[in-house]
Amino acid sequence: MQEPILSVEDLHVKFKLRGKTLHALRGVNLDVYRGESLAIVGESGCGKSVLNKNFIGLLDGNGFIAQGQIRYYDALEKFKGSPACKQDGQGRMYVDLTSLPKPTDWLSIRGSEVCMIPQDPMTSLNPLKSIGKQILEALELHRGLKGKAAREAAIDILKDVRIDDPRRRYKQYPHELSGGMRQRIVIAIAIACRPKILICDEPTTALDVTIQAQVLSLLKELKTKYNLTIIFITHDLGVVANIAERVAVMYAGDIVELGLVNEIFYDPHHPYTWALLSSLPQLGHRGEELYSIKGTPPNLFQAIHGDAFAPRNPLALQIDHLEQPPYFDITPTHRARTWLLDPRAPKVEPPEVIRKLKQLGGKAIGNP
Amino acid sequence: METREKEVLLKVRDLEVTFGNSWHRFKAVKGVSFDVYKGETFGIVGESGSGKTTIGRCIIRVYPASAGSIQFKGREITGRIPKELDREITQKIQMIFQDPMASLNERAKIDYIVSEGLQGRGYSKAQMQEMVTAALHAVGLPPEFATRFPHEFSGGQRQRIGIARALIMNPEFIIADEPISALDVSIRAQVLNLMSQLQKERGLTYLFISHDLSVMRFICDRIAVVHKGLIVEMADTETLFQHPAHPYTRALLSAIPQPNPDVEKNKVLEIYDPACHHYEQHPPRWQNIEPDHQVLCNEEELATWKTW
Ligand SMILES: Nc1ncnc2c1ncn2[C@@H]1O[C@H](COP(=O)(O)OP(=O)(O)OP(=O)(O)O)[C@@H](O)[C@H]1O
Ligand SMILES: Nc1ncnc2c1ncn2[C@@H]1O[C@H](COP(=O)(O)OP(=O)(O)OP(=O)(O)O)[C@@H](O)[C@H]1O
Ligand SMILES: [Mg+2]
Ligand SMILES: [Mg+2]
Repeated sequence: MQEPILSVEDLHVKFKLRGKTLHALRGVNLDVYRGESLAIVGESGCGKSVLNKNFIGLLDGNGFIAQGQIRYYDALEKFKGSPACKQDGQGRMYVDLTSLPKPTDWLSIRGSEVCMIPQDPMTSLNPLKSIGKQILEALELHRGLKGKAAREAAIDILKDVRIDDPRRRYKQYPHELSGGMRQRIVIAIAIACRPKILICDEPTTALDVTIQAQVLSLLKELKTKYNLTIIFITHDLGVVANIAERVAVMYAGDIVELGLVNEIFYDPHHPYTWALLSSLPQLGHRGEELYSIKGTPPNLFQAIHGDAFAPRNPLALQIDHLEQPPYFDITPTHRARTWLLDPRAPKVEPPEVIRKLKQLGGKAIGNP
Repeated sequence: METREKEVLLKVRDLEVTFGNSWHRFKAVKGVSFDVYKGETFGIVGESGSGKTTIGRCIIRVYPASAGSIQFKGREITGRIPKELDREITQKIQMIFQDPMASLNERAKIDYIVSEGLQGRGYSKAQMQEMVTAALHAVGLPPEFATRFPHEFSGGQRQRIGIARALIMNPEFIIADEPISALDVSIRAQVLNLMSQLQKERGLTYLFISHDLSVMRFICDRIAVVHKGLIVEMADTETLFQHPAHPYTRALLSAIPQPNPDVEKNKVLEIYDPACHHYEQHPPRWQNIEPDHQVLCNEEELATWKTW
């Protein structure tokens, strides 16, 4: 049995906005296993970033945890004697990330335990400092390196992220680099911290495919080398197929399907997962419209009844509009929150393209 | 041969762009030439830092060309140009920027952002307002959005605002720099559909910059592959996918992520090593490898790369 390094239970996060409350996470349950790579996919605004910001204590100021648990099964030494150090039902010790006593406690988590490569590399680099200096600072702070050793380590990291001519680049400023290079610098800074959990929020969107492939294989290499746990947030299902061992599909602040990567691609069960896979340009035909999900995601300022995806799902059952479905287990590793899995539900076939994906199995997909 | 008769909208010849000062020069674009035909979608693909954005910015005159020429509808638009021509091309050529998060002024409301390019062109307030509403409508956003701020929108909505801002100028030519890479799959499909629809309705011509070859295959008529500031291959989209000749193009194609775990696990990457060329003795030229398909290579390579 795999052991969790991080466990989220019934997590509700809300934001206060102009006197109204936005319910961003609506009861998320998720175990992240030590050493795994987990991908989180889902439409823009579904809560991927908000979920992960909880793990580093960087929820925006107007946000708060309304309910739920986040248990981190590591860093126990650092929190010895702290009230945040607790024992779960199975006798395992954990640090309760929902109730760290002091804001400064996060400094012992952020960076060295859990490190997040933020979504927007343009804004996360300091424009006034050379990139070498920025990597150096991470090395000094988290690994205690100094002087020449730190400098050499920084140059090695630049090589790790495949920046050519690292000695020249070391002295450059962010604006002198292309978008993709800046993104790799941000990855470099994260790697410099040697965290246990690396959260990558859309880390490869600005990269071209060859460098993307290299960064992915680099991340996989680092994962094995340092027994890293990787959480990968991405829109790119090709990337998911490459790096993920498991995939969580989020919709409107909840995980609607969770399974091994092959289960999600070849045997998806939630209608939202079907819709997501159907929108891939690889499955489209030139000159024709690409499949796109109709309608808009639900308004999170209002309470959601039933299956949140129902209003956009042409195949929704009556009950989908009334009652939220529970999780149904498909295999021990695969579960989905959809009434279609209820034994009483009528048989609904997945769309054509999903069957096509399954038939293709290990064969390449190309649009004609 | 059909392409010969098409109208050339943009003609780029031996374009060079250099950054830096006299003791630290860096040539980001090292002599690229291509034509964009009216009504087509011309794609530029290439690795990060290869100069794609720089080419785009040079066309809209944000960066000066250090050599070469760019002609729009037969008129030179680099260097010193007459004021009227400058006005005309700032209207007719629009760029949608790479990063929808960073490219919108956070402190301005949407109506200002969308109508910014119209300022100083002699429109009344009421006219501008009407045009904003129409532009928002064209990209599928309700008029109420006009009075809101960018941070209140999702990535896809922001990208639509970026498109509305370009459309309001009633352009003929749009440079779309990675217009969808920051968007999720479902919104990506919406934006791609929107771009095709607008192209059909308004006869727009696109220069589409991207690193996502699977999207380019879907949307582009022709594709140029750039590597370190040089175009190394150019062909009709399907030709390029069927008959990639340059080893860099081959590496790019082999790296396209497939939404298929079994394929990804067994993927064999072709790695491009520029040392494979022997250009000291036999320098490369821009050559036809087949009709409508050009490659940068020397004679020896031309003979061996043609494997079909
Ligand atoms: N500070 C905030 N105040 C109010 N609402 C917020 C705040 N931060 C996030 N939200 C809302 O919470 C929801 C989830 O946002 P989140 O950033 O997690 O989305 P995401 O899944 O990461 O999307 P994307 O793919 O676009 O990055 C959205 O509806 C968003 O508008
Ligand atoms: N303002 C600038 N000053 C100095 N160098 C620059 C400037 N803008 C770009 N460069 C350099 O020019 C080269 C090309 O950059 P450009 O932004 O055109 O790349 P790109 O192909 O668009 O890459 P990406 O896919 O990462 O966006 C890079 O080496 C970059 O460092
Ligand atoms: Mg996000
Ligand atoms: Mg660019």
